[in-house]
Amino acid sequence: MGVISTSSREAAPRPAMARVPPVKTAVLGAVILLLVLLVVQPFGWVLFNSFHDDATGAWTLNNYARIVQSAELIEPLVNSLLLAAATAMIAVGIGVPLAWLVSRTDLPLRRTIRVLTLTAFVTPSFIGATGWILLAAPNSGWLNTAWRWLAGEGAGTPLNIYSMAGAIFVCGIYTVPYSFTMVSSALDEMAVELEDAATTLGCGVLRTMVSITIPLAAPAVIASFILSFIQGLTLFGVPAFLLTPTGIPVVTTKLAEFYQLFPPEIYLAAAYCMPLLLVTGALFWMRRRYLGRKQYVTISGKTRAGRQIRLGGWRWAALFLALLVPMVSVFLPYAALLLVSLTRAWGQGLSWENLSLHWYWWAIFGNSETHTAIVNSLVYSTLAATLCVALGTLVAYIVERRLMVGASLLGAVTTVPIVIPGIVLSVGFFAAYTRAPFNLYGTPLLLIAAFAATFLPIAYSHGGSILKGIGPELERAARSLGAGEARTFLSVTLPLMGGGLVSGWFLVFIPIIRELSVAVFLITPKTNVMTTLIYNAKDGGNYEAVCAMSVLLLLITLLLVAVARPLAGLTGARRTSRKTAEAAGVPS
Amino acid sequence: MTDISRRGLLQTGGLAGAALLSGGLAGTGFARLAAAQQVVADDPLYAAARKEGALTLYWGSYEQQTMEAIRDAFKAKYPGIEVQLLRQASQTVYTRLRLELQNGVAECDSLGTTNLLHYTELKKIGALAAYDPPDAAMLPTAFKGLDKDAMYHVGAISLTSINYAPGKVAAPPTSWTALLEDQWKGKITTGSPAFSGDVASWVVAIRRKYGDDYLRRFGQQKPKVGQSNVDTVTDILAGERVVGSGAPFSYTLAQKAAGNPIDVSVPTDDAILNLGLTGIPVKAPHPNAARLFTNFLYSKEVSDILSKNFWPTLRTDVAWAEGRSLDQLKWYRNSGDDLAAEVAEGIAKWKELVR
Repeated sequence: MGVISTSSREAAPRPAMARVPPVKTAVLGAVILLLVLLVVQPFGWVLFNSFHDDATGAWTLNNYARIVQSAELIEPLVNSLLLAAATAMIAVGIGVPLAWLVSRTDLPLRRTIRVLTLTAFVTPSFIGATGWILLAAPNSGWLNTAWRWLAGEGAGTPLNIYSMAGAIFVCGIYTVPYSFTMVSSALDEMAVELEDAATTLGCGVLRTMVSITIPLAAPAVIASFILSFIQGLTLFGVPAFLLTPTGIPVVTTKLAEFYQLFPPEIYLAAAYCMPLLLVTGALFWMRRRYLGRKQYVTISGKTRAGRQIRLGGWRWAALFLALLVPMVSVFLPYAALLLVSLTRAWGQGLSWENLSLHWYWWAIFGNSETHTAIVNSLVYSTLAATLCVALGTLVAYIVERRLMVGASLLGAVTTVPIVIPGIVLSVGFFAAYTRAPFNLYGTPLLLIAAFAATFLPIAYSHGGSILKGIGPELERAARSLGAGEARTFLSVTLPLMGGGLVSGWFLVFIPIIRELSVAVFLITPKTNVMTTLIYNAKDGGNYEAVCAMSVLLLLITLLLVAVARPLAGLTGARRTSRKTAEAAGVPS
Repeated sequence: MTDISRRGLLQTGGLAGAALLSGGLAGTGFARLAAAQQVVADDPLYAAARKEGALTLYWGSYEQQTMEAIRDAFKAKYPGIEVQLLRQASQTVYTRLRLELQNGVAECDSLGTTNLLHYTELKKIGALAAYDPPDAAMLPTAFKGLDKDAMYHVGAISLTSINYAPGKVAAPPTSWTALLEDQWKGKITTGSPAFSGDVASWVVAIRRKYGDDYLRRFGQQKPKVGQSNVDTVTDILAGERVVGSGAPFSYTLAQKAAGNPIDVSVPTDDAILNLGLTGIPVKAPHPNAARLFTNFLYSKEVSDILSKNFWPTLRTDVAWAEGRSLDQLKWYRNSGDDLAAEVAEGIAKWKELVR
């Protein structure tokens, strides 16, 4: 049985020594340098641009003045905030209970649900939106057609995906994986003694969950709420497809309009992102206020016992609810996409003559660009995700353990990129790395750097929420036995973070592989990626190809996850501890 | 080479593929080399381009498939030149070129986008190089010598018309004004001028023809407004709407040829014609290869590929697909010096009157 730490968070070790060891200095220096290169410089360009005039290039405050004064520019901001808040509520409202069910209970098919949730995560938002258009467009949506078939022609159209509600629904279900993954890995890593204590004292399952488990996972819950909120702010595909037809503008579709204008209003677009930064900054500030005074340490080394809550008769009801998410985010839309991808010409509808593997054959063999793009996507995503998790974890460690003066500033800097919509960030990266001395334009390094920087906040938040759960006692023990900061981190902290880091890697890898807009001005013919090709096919109206390539992208990513699973125990993070517990005779 | 041949066959399946087949599969490498040397001997421009050895295309005109076929045909005709194709939306390609100019990067050899304003602007800042492609002599007269200084030329001809679902529409609307009839209320799909250059051209043309009253009544028809005008085809094929306004002529025909139940109706009050343009940046790293490619655009090979993909051809001696041609239909093209302002005004009016 593990021991619960009762010491206060305030006691987290500050660098007490006057002598700063060289390794630590080198690591801190490298982290700061990397952050300057990856985040400060590109964002600096975005900020710099926002104070310039698009037509003349002169310094101006006019961009900001226009935003404040024009109702046409305020409305999209309000809509975006609404969309983001609703998305975050859905993501947390569904993702957190789902994570609890999968991590803590004897729910059947737990592993399957984890995999399916990842599957939803792999889906680029515009693909999910496409799937749902096929399902729930008011006249032609298959669900609506089915309803009319059942209830009679006059039954009307129960579903209209072209609405704010539709956009919130689609954004929400594709953001659930964020909260699910973050919270479930926090629950996996958490010791269960407090829960056991609550149960012993007579608390029911629900009360234990609500008053012990979820509050202990609060850092992860809040981090995932904020990330989901940011997702809702920065997604382009869903509002572009679902809200344009209803005439509801949001920030990202408005940004696309700025770029579409002639001459494009790139600098105004840069300024238009700053309100998003303010809102997100406020969220992070509230998080600090809330979390700062509490402590969440439950891992203090030793063993973690796995204990399952028996759902009894609720098992199947819970399974039904748990499967509802994959049903709406994976099964239904992918069934639609699969059907379209298997037709020669989808307008002909389903018939034997029209069925064909043509588009898969075309995507794999017929398209000269696809091979390069698939390889590029995989290589860049792997390298970028690794860099991202390494750097994000280091920053999280520095911030959580307050290893330097101004550590929280470091954290704030790390968080910036994800808030800036990709199309604007892309221009920042272009300016930052294309000039001398970097001259990275046209090289894979440019894309890897951009991808790593964009998703650094995810790695950082995820790392931070895991670290909050790991008590500093063991690190202190190592330190007092003479190990330096570096050795302590490598031999104590890192192993304790374990499975959480692996899930963090996927949490970054998957958004990178499906990312589109940040690459838009950075890819060159030699460094093309899969999503650009998919978007080009969509742009050219080739829906069969879009669907076939999306299904392929999904399969490739799932294959990777499947390969990584035995290595990482990703989908069974608690397996080892549970086995140990069972071996030790602890009932599960 | 066999790789290229196979690819060409798969994509165009037609004349381009056949050309590659004879050049790639049938000919040995040796024979090809000899043939190439023969062409070099005849063409000093090819010799100079070959010395440069590379070519980078930044193109937004034509969809990926057609553009790749053109690239492959160029590679087959002029071996020894490595061709890189960046195919993105026109405005994205232009914005990228502007970013490159601002940051002192020169990558692009040939720019091809659908907006004339890109070229007038680039010309104004001295970013375009003059070149007079000899084969452009075969262009339809109306599109010859667009720029008196020969800094940009026609790269693509794009037509905006009406499209519809033949099975669900007894008689399709035959004019823009017919779209305002009661029977099409709630049945129309269209793109947004804020997202699609073609729809923006349509809005400018329709305001010139019929004024803002047209837009007002068009708005009362409750059209479904997507982003690109390609979305009209999607909506019609899905069955969401039955008639498309401001719809892409070539792409609709390509979908029809693929077996989809859709067709075009060319409005009697003019199809709206929008030109794609092409130019060579003054700092192009491979200027000779760029000239060679620009001239190649007006070759029979390219027009054959265009015809195969249902695009209007760039030569009067190559017929369009299904025997169509420019003089069979009535068309209108926006001209004038103040197009940028007119587009901006059109978009604003659209937002006010349509949505």
